Amino acid sequence: MTEVEETLKRIQSHKGVIGTMVVNAEGIPIRTTLDNSTTVQYAGLLHQLTIKAKSTIRDIDPQNDLTFLRIRSKKHEIMVAPDKEYLLIVIQNPCE
Amino acid sequence: MPTSPSGSRKSVSHLAVLQSKKSISFTEKAKEALKKGFSGVNQSRMGVSRNLVILPEMKTTEKVNVPGPKTVQVLDENGVDVTPRPLYSSDPGAAKPSKLLSSQEGSLGSDIMASYSMYQNTLNPSVMGQFTRSALGSSTISKSSISATESMAEDLEEPSYKGEKLASFTDMQVMRAAPETVITKEDLEKNIEILLTETDTLRFFDLPTVMISVESEEAEKVIQRNNKYETLCRNRLGNDLYVERMMQTFNGAPKNKDVQCDRIIMEDQGVMATTWDLYDSFDALKLSSSAGKRYAVESSSKANVLPKERLEQKLPAALTDKTSETSSLMDLENVILSKVHEDEEDHAEAIFKSDKFLQDLFFMERVLMENIFQPKLAAYRQLPILKEPEPEEPKEFSECVKVEEVEEVKEEEEEIEISEEQTIPANLERLWSFTCDLTKGLNVSSLAWNKLNPDLLAVGYGHFGFKEQKRGLACCWSIKNPMWPERVYPSPYGVTAVDFSIGTPNLLAVGYYNGTIAIYNVQSSGNVPVLDSSESPQKHVGPVWQLQWIEQDRGTTGDDKREFLVSISADGRVSKWVIRKGLDAHDLMRLKRTTVGSNKKGGEKDKKGEALISRQAPGMCFAFHPKDTNIYLTGTEEGHIHKCSCSYNEQYLETYRGHKGPVYKVTWNPFCPDVFLSCSADWGVMIWQQENFRPFLSFYPTTHVVYDVAWSPKSCYVFAAANESRVEIWDLHASTLDPLIVNVANPGIKFTTVLFAKHTDCLLVGDSDGQVAVYELRNMPTASDCGREDVINALLGCKFN
Repeated sequence: MTEVEETLKRIQSHKGVIGTMVVNAEGIPIRTTLDNSTTVQYAGLLHQLTIKAKSTIRDIDPQNDLTFLRIRSKKHEIMVAPDKEYLLIVIQNPCE
Repeated sequence: MPTSPSGSRKSVSHLAVLQSKKSISFTEKAKEALKKGFSGVNQSRMGVSRNLVILPEMKTTEKVNVPGPKTVQVLDENGVDVTPRPLYSSDPGAAKPSKLLSSQEGSLGSDIMASYSMYQNTLNPSVMGQFTRSALGSSTISKSSISATESMAEDLEEPSYKGEKLASFTDMQVMRAAPETVITKEDLEKNIEILLTETDTLRFFDLPTVMISVESEEAEKVIQRNNKYETLCRNRLGNDLYVERMMQTFNGAPKNKDVQCDRIIMEDQGVMATTWDLYDSFDALKLSSSAGKRYAVESSSKANVLPKERLEQKLPAALTDKTSETSSLMDLENVILSKVHEDEEDHAEAIFKSDKFLQDLFFMERVLMENIFQPKLAAYRQLPILKEPEPEEPKEFSECVKVEEVEEVKEEEEEIEISEEQTIPANLERLWSFTCDLTKGLNVSSLAWNKLNPDLLAVGYGHFGFKEQKRGLACCWSIKNPMWPERVYPSPYGVTAVDFSIGTPNLLAVGYYNGTIAIYNVQSSGNVPVLDSSESPQKHVGPVWQLQWIEQDRGTTGDDKREFLVSISADGRVSKWVIRKGLDAHDLMRLKRTTVGSNKKGGEKDKKGEALISRQAPGMCFAFHPKDTNIYLTGTEEGHIHKCSCSYNEQYLETYRGHKGPVYKVTWNPFCPDVFLSCSADWGVMIWQQENFRPFLSFYPTTHVVYDVAWSPKSCYVFAAANESRVEIWDLHASTLDPLIVNVANPGIKFTTVLFAKHTDCLLVGDSDGQVAVYELRNMPTASDCGREDVINALLGCKFN
């Protein structure tokens, strides 16, 4: 458990990390460093995107599965580690 | 005329009905019936027949005394009984609907009543007046039988009717509304199972073929019949027997009837069968058949319905934008979770405890690292650097971009030439450094790469001097995460040597300042050593200055390649450790103190008089010959380098004298097996050739202790030396007087170890502040045909005087 906490803390304090969120399967944030409304918004949108991405991957090959999703935009990069029970989302500004 | 049963009232109407069977000349009779004062109560409906007679509306309240059912007989002219047989025979089971009918009261259309679905009872609905009727068919009235009418009529208690007098011939079987029950929420949400089955095939029309094969038996007859028919048709034309006559048929006036029914709610349900959905369903079937019922949240008995149900369950999640998961198991969980709040918190805890979460965090950290360090890591791996599209004007030269990125690094010393010259001299570019809070302030004492995974680095932290002893640390760093070590093995003693095993690459041997050797398994995340030599009777009593795993061919014993650990320590012993049940040691060599040389006799005398504290010389380093693992070199604190053999543990084969201070490192040239390099505390770096007992080349670049030297794995001429204040890269091909590259340290920081990276042009330098910096060697002169013995021999030969 403590290892998890430590790693989370390290991730949160990394250079360029804007926010870290862990939301459960319903979109309720369990742990977040951003405000609630932003978190809920991110969670809802990314959840749908993750489902779509997972469906795409599995449609092509049902034995494959989605492990990680990265979206790079002009301003930052959103990294999502999906799972059945939770979503781990980290938003980073990679340039600085 | 057909006789009618008793009951004058009815007789009239019956007549009317009966008459209708005769198709022709019927109208008059009906009118007669009317004239007779047709006051049929129930039978008013009977007026609804083919003729357009509209019977007067009658509202009667008197009950009809209906006599018992009487069989009606219909006889035609000849007295033949042509009583039509009822299509529907009322059975006792039909008593139920009749009771319903009898208790009918009240509003029109509110209750629905069962009506007999028979043609005969066409007239009844109008009497009831309270149930819906369906369309009429005028032809069906002819089929109405009196008996049926009577049977219906007798059930009536309230013959009052309203509305139209149309007889409905085809009637509906409608359901009476169930008694009012309280419908609870659970009922609504209950799963109602609807079984759809295929009904039997009902044949409404069956027209058998009228084609018969020519060869069949009846063919004859049929052909004859056909011929007869043809002749008949032909004869018909002018024949007197056949007269054409017109007829007028009476068409009933159609009437529209509106029906009101309850709103039928329709729902659209769609399912998207994706490939993975099908795959999952089939997998689930297999799983549920073999293992427990984990996936079958619904009753698993309906195996064939299961996939469909699961699809439907999954579907709403996908289509209706809910945030629930698309697995049936999760739906159930969601339902449970939404009700109990406490469960939710436990669930959150469970997430944190799950292994998958830890793994995801691990990956996430790596990904973050990759983003942060992308240019550096790319340079390390010699990949093109990903250039971010700059918001300012784009740079023209890629070199400028690189330089800019380098400038962004907030580290100190760099020897980058920022000018845009054509030829840039060789330099060291600092990429990043492995450092974290744990390692701050510690002295890096040893570095070792993993033999299997080239990204894994073991770093030992411990101070060299006796007075500076602090706690020690052995860390495993990964290139992919330069900000936090993967494994941390703390210890109260300083770590002085680390090495990864060759045969079992997950074993890491760590040597401590107090002489113990511990072996860790880096695959497990605990920090307890697998093996420890602290209880062994043969453990070292002085700091273990170097450890190395050696693979040796042991043809005699039958094993292919046995691997053992060789350690050298300050107590003067070179030991070989074998892992059997524990760590077993076997001394390879005891380093004895040697005299200076037999030349100086005076010296000998002096030496003999000396009271030696110990007959053994502390060993500082060793190096096994790359080709012949029987031969190895050891460097001692005296300054001597001894060539020893595993076969002899008492005597040295050779002794190389040249250094005046403790020899800290000795290392063979990987390309040229005769040449080795040594460095010592007397500020000197010396190159030796195996045959000569005097150094071949010696360098005294600075007045600082040289802690470490290493040959470059890429070029046979290049080596790196770390002394207290600088790191130097020497290229013997270019110059033997000056180092090629000099990298000066920050004041207060000493460089203590160097290590080349195997497949890239990078150099790792450890310093006394706990940092392991990674430098890239850039613009090195290309190594021209390296690896051939004669080349370096030629070089050495010409320099050798």
